[in-house]
Amino acid sequence: MSTQDTEHEHDRDHDHAHDEITAGDGIGYYETMEIAVRELLVSKGFIKPEEIRRQLEVLDSRTPALGARVVARAWLDDEFRARLLENGRKACEELGISFYDDTQLIVLENTDKVHNLIVCTLCSCYPRPVLGLPPDWYKNKPYRARAISEPRKVLAEFGTFIPNDVDVRVSDSTAMIRYLVLPRRPEGTETYNEDQLASLVTRDSMIGVVAAGVADPRTVK
Amino acid sequence: MKGSEELVRRLPNDIGGISAGPIQRTDHELEPWEKRCHALADVIDFHKILNTEEKRKGVEALGSEIVGRLSYYERWIVAFSNILFQKRILTPRELAEKMDEVAARDRG
Repeated sequence: MSTQDTEHEHDRDHDHAHDEITAGDGIGYYETMEIAVRELLVSKGFIKPEEIRRQLEVLDSRTPALGARVVARAWLDDEFRARLLENGRKACEELGISFYDDTQLIVLENTDKVHNLIVCTLCSCYPRPVLGLPPDWYKNKPYRARAISEPRKVLAEFGTFIPNDVDVRVSDSTAMIRYLVLPRRPEGTETYNEDQLASLVTRDSMIGVVAAGVADPRTVK
Repeated sequence: MKGSEELVRRLPNDIGGISAGPIQRTDHELEPWEKRCHALADVIDFHKILNTEEKRKGVEALGSEIVGRLSYYERWIVAFSNILFQKRILTPRELAEKMDEVAARDRG
């Protein structure tokens, strides 16, 4: 049995355990540990309960819609795009997107010569301030293991086929440096405003596993 | 022991470039405790108690069997506990007693 299979069996076990929990069997071992660690840190004065509540709200406020707004602005405003590529964090902060951590953001622009893909081989580093929390597949073994050694095969599994004359570049995130892909603006969107453009930008297109959405003919005049 | 060299050459997190199966496009909404665990990690990072690199090393130090069997946030909370013990912020006894208290409270 491969490690992959083991992980999946475990996922099923975990779901099952969760069902039992919601059926009224009380909180599980690890949730008990989370509550205990948090309460001990509060009672010892290291953290305050309102800091946890506040951070839960911050986490809820971060979704790929923020990244989509950044991308749409970059497509419309060349000077903004230049600033974004120069310093991703500063340009996002210009749009009111605060960085609640110490990370820097490098924005990687897709062109007709280069397609970018981001990964964190060691764990799960991700541009959380602009995209929210990563999907499970980003944190699991197959993507982390294979993205750097066979990116074209990985992309094909997402239905993305990059022509051979286009370079595929994979950037491996670290604790301090996070990446965001600036996808190519879809053709046929010349008349789109910022909101319409943002609606074409998905989370996966900013990870680099798919292209930004194709123009929806119903919205094009 | 044959095959054990691989355990030495690569720590559990160091999987970039090894062969692995197809990507299952899995995702799930975080359970409330998982989200609280994430918020806890961020807050203790803000207070310079524990940073991202220490978190990753803490998970790695759990060893490959625990890394393989626990879910993502289960690994995190166990790693945080170990690091807080090492930093002498918490003791194992305090945590054990508090967990008993939390469990008893939950049973009502």
